[in-house]
Amino acid sequence: MEILHNLAFGFEHALTWQNLMFCAIGCVVGTLVGLLPGLGPLATISVLLPLTYSIPVNGALIMLAGIYYGAQYGDSVSAITMKIPHASSIVACIDGYQMTLKGKTGLALFTAGISSFIGGTVAIVVLACLAPTLGEVAFLFGPADYCSLMLLGFLCVSFVTTGSLLNGLAMCLIGVLFGQIGTDVNSGMERYTFDMPFLAEGVGLVSIALGCFGIAEISKNLDAKNERTPFNGKIHLMPTWPEFKRIIPSALRGSVVGSFLGILPGGGPTIAQFAAYAVDKKVSKYRHEIGDGAIEGVAGQAAADESAARTSFIPLMSIGIPENPVMALMMAAFIIKGIQPGPNMIAGHPDIFWGLVASMWIGNVFLVVLNVPLVRYWLSVFKIPYNVLFPSILFFCCIGTFSVNNNLDDVFVTAAFGLAGYIFMRLDMDPAPLMLGFILGPMLEENFRRAMLISRGKFDVFVQRPISATLLGIMAVFIAWQLIAFLLANRKGAKSGKGNDHDQDPDAGTVAPQGA
Amino acid sequence: MTLNRSLARGLFLAAVALFFGLGALRYPIGRMDHAGPGLFPLMISVLLGLVALATIVRGVVSGGPGLDFKVKNIGLILGALCAFSLVSRFLNMSAGIVVMVFIATAAGSNYSWKRNIAISIGLLAIAFVFQKFLGLNLPLL
Repeated sequence: MEILHNLAFGFEHALTWQNLMFCAIGCVVGTLVGLLPGLGPLATISVLLPLTYSIPVNGALIMLAGIYYGAQYGDSVSAITMKIPHASSIVACIDGYQMTLKGKTGLALFTAGISSFIGGTVAIVVLACLAPTLGEVAFLFGPADYCSLMLLGFLCVSFVTTGSLLNGLAMCLIGVLFGQIGTDVNSGMERYTFDMPFLAEGVGLVSIALGCFGIAEISKNLDAKNERTPFNGKIHLMPTWPEFKRIIPSALRGSVVGSFLGILPGGGPTIAQFAAYAVDKKVSKYRHEIGDGAIEGVAGQAAADESAARTSFIPLMSIGIPENPVMALMMAAFIIKGIQPGPNMIAGHPDIFWGLVASMWIGNVFLVVLNVPLVRYWLSVFKIPYNVLFPSILFFCCIGTFSVNNNLDDVFVTAAFGLAGYIFMRLDMDPAPLMLGFILGPMLEENFRRAMLISRGKFDVFVQRPISATLLGIMAVFIAWQLIAFLLANRKGAKSGKGNDHDQDPDAGTVAPQGA
Repeated sequence: MTLNRSLARGLFLAAVALFFGLGALRYPIGRMDHAGPGLFPLMISVLLGLVALATIVRGVVSGGPGLDFKVKNIGLILGALCAFSLVSRFLNMSAGIVVMVFIATAAGSNYSWKRNIAISIGLLAIAFVFQKFLGLNLPLL
């Protein structure tokens, strides 16, 4: 009953005309930008972050959440219609694009939209029930426990996003080191600033995000020189009743899988999609059709995608630790608006917390009533030639960087990270874990120093506290499993005469679950 | 032995680790229970150094696809960003936007003055909308 009361309270705050407008704008702009080639949710959020600076806190967070969901839907639209995979919509490319080849684009888009709605609704119930409870648990966490939790997050994100533990960990560590630039909070000493005043407050997150995702993406597309053919097929949206009946069970399965995987450290939409797809392949009544354009192949993963995107807010808002790179960016946006996510957020700003929860659902409704019917118009974004598009994206990068502090020097920082992002891309290193490392780095350092201070410099504290010991145990098992898998793969590879391990291909790990 | 991607990655990581690690030594390290500002970056750099070492070893042992680096496009894009910042500082941001467009589009597949002017006008209009309606503090004039 209390949950209903809280949700009603949230809707009271979310259902003002202003907030509804922000939610709608966020969804629409997010979808549009998310559709653009190469711009996944991370890049979309960072490009659009400046839009929210001058908006009141409540509206800004609602708009950001709208941008996030819009971007995700935009991603799956480009995956279904043109098989342009983004990190967040690899699975949608499989059956979704097959449906397009069969001339059922409209059905695929409708299925994705309505399944997202179902997934989002289930996830919001989970969120409303779990977040406050988990917030209570978070008060039991000491500095050592926070350290272990963050390390576990690094490990999981490294594995999930890059498929290679070594590459992912390297990027996390680089992120942590970038986070060290600036003034040390404990001693007041400036680290790695080279006496440049604009570095004293540290490197801006927006600069890193735009450099590594926006600018690196642009140069990648320019180097590749492939002109995209816009989608010109017919779109017939409404499904028949038997088709509609096939969506529901699959979407519900996906929602449950997604809600669960969204909460785990390192979890989130990508892994949830693969898991839901695998589940559908095992248990669906139509499993023999999955892979060549089955409704279930789209519905389950879309629902999982959406529900995981929502439940991944749970660790952020209740414990204060983002568990994947997108949430790290969200956390930064929260902090820019003066809200510190964590156990105190639900108690201290109930209007914001419950308003956000309610607006997630409203955003979902907008997606269904606005984006799904209008999707054919959204697709005209692709008719804009890339020669016009990329200077415009660059313009947004410039404005976005400048507007954080109204400082032109920050544009140089963005340019520097554009170069870094380009090098990362050419070296096949995924910058997503870097974002998480960058956001969590300062928190990791502070908690580590505090834990050491309390334990008088003894490392025992990490194994003596039950929460921390459990988390470290999970990490040890995970690493051991990885090592064994690596050795086995190498032995097999040596036998068959090929010395290549799966780490060579960054996509290998993420694509692997397809066969499951 | 050619420079394959895994080896290049390892060397790059090692360079980053060395840069931050040596930098950390310039700051007081302190003790474990009273950490100085240099301790934490040093620890992370050492960890990154280990990862770099592992990556180098793997690059040497198992090889990988070759390296492919095109300087022109990324150079033009970064040049456009820096030009935007400089022109905005010494003239104004409207000029900065126009300069940025004219430099950046040189990286595109074809170059057209007319199109650049159209893009510039469009972006200037957006910038003015941002300034007037979103309250962004852009020094356009």
